[in-house]
Amino acid sequence: MNKFFTKKLPIIFFIFIPIIFLWHPNWIGFFGAQPYWPLFWLLPWSMINGSISGIIFGFFLGIILDSVTIDSSFSQIPGLILCGVWFGKIKIHSDVLVGHFRYGLICSLGSFLCGSLYFSQILFRNFSDSTFLLFISSFQNILAEVFLTGFFAPLFCSQFLRLFKFSREKSIIINLLKK
Amino acid sequence: MLDIRRISNSRWWHKKKSWKLLAIFLFLVFVRISKGSIYKDFYFFISKPFWPGKFQKEIILNSIDQEYLMKFNLLEKDNLRLREYLSLQQSSNGDAISAKVISRKTGSWWRQIILNKGSKDGVEIGSTVIGPGGLLGRVKSTSMFTSSVKLLTSPESKVGIWVDRLQINGLLVGTGNDSPILILYSKDIDIKVGDFISSSPASTLLPPNIPIGIVQSLNEPLKAKKTAKISLLAKPQVIDWVQILNVKI
Repeated sequence: MNKFFTKKLPIIFFIFIPIIFLWHPNWIGFFGAQPYWPLFWLLPWSMINGSISGIIFGFFLGIILDSVTIDSSFSQIPGLILCGVWFGKIKIHSDVLVGHFRYGLICSLGSFLCGSLYFSQILFRNFSDSTFLLFISSFQNILAEVFLTGFFAPLFCSQFLRLFKFSREKSIIINLLKK
Repeated sequence: MLDIRRISNSRWWHKKKSWKLLAIFLFLVFVRISKGSIYKDFYFFISKPFWPGKFQKEIILNSIDQEYLMKFNLLEKDNLRLREYLSLQQSSNGDAISAKVISRKTGSWWRQIILNKGSKDGVEIGSTVIGPGGLLGRVKSTSMFTSSVKLLTSPESKVGIWVDRLQINGLLVGTGNDSPILILYSKDIDIKVGDFISSSPASTLLPPNIPIGIVQSLNEPLKAKKTAKISLLAKPQVIDWVQILNVKI
């Protein structure tokens, strides 16, 4: 049982992303916005497993997050797929400290990309004379999310990366022992 | 023989990983089709110990006072209209379901709350949700134990409203922040800061005369439209209990 959990650690965390997304803890909010949680999982996962896996799991994350939110006209899938591809091309940095800051910067840019794509869908669907009324609040949402995602990314991503690497190594050892 | 086996082993359907990915994909498609009901029900059970207690009482009592005052004014006017016309359309059958807020997304793009009552308790899609202060939104989807409410602040929300002082209809559009925008389709309307708005008697989605908010500020007129920022009476950020109205309009 312990071996199973060690091997499936990334998938267990994957399952809990929508739960945290629904939980929406206000005490880490900023202007009502929250960090963009799926990126904290997607970055280490794609860095370890590559772009193809990043695309697949970006798509899966998008499906599941679109299911738990009720804005049926807009989707998070495009942003997450693009982030999955991009994150898969990033190599793990040898310097731990630099690595930490990189996670922050990468996740901030990823969050900006996802937020902008989501906003462009809202603009596209609601295009009218009064569209400009959406701009101020939307920019505020995007910037608050970018800030929070970048702020928390070094903490979450480095821990996830360590856990996912550990889980991968363990599963390789377990498979070798089986053979 | 060995070569044939090698080729046949390299087909995608002989790889365990492909089947696993397919299984995950099918599961996720199921989740998508069921609108995440598995997740919402799972969340219902694991969040049960953390459901709201008796706090934020003062803010809620304040909102209730405001709500009662405005409701009183509306009822008085309704009464006069009734006397005049002798009959009014039936707006509510008094069938309300009380529910707790178990998840709240009131910031960023996704503005929704999840309630602990679902289709099992008789909640229907499209039902009106009110809280202390007035209207919060409408039920967009239900699972067995939960229901998701699209708030008035959501960028997808559009509801018909009634400006009480001017006796005109307008449209309330969510913009993704805490203050939705009121659009009035005439440039010459004399709307003022402090004007009270409620749900429109002409609306086919909501019952009439539910308090919604107060005009907070006015924007510059656009072509043939006048727009204003609305401060909502019911604050979804702090409300822990709501009522679901299964109303036939």
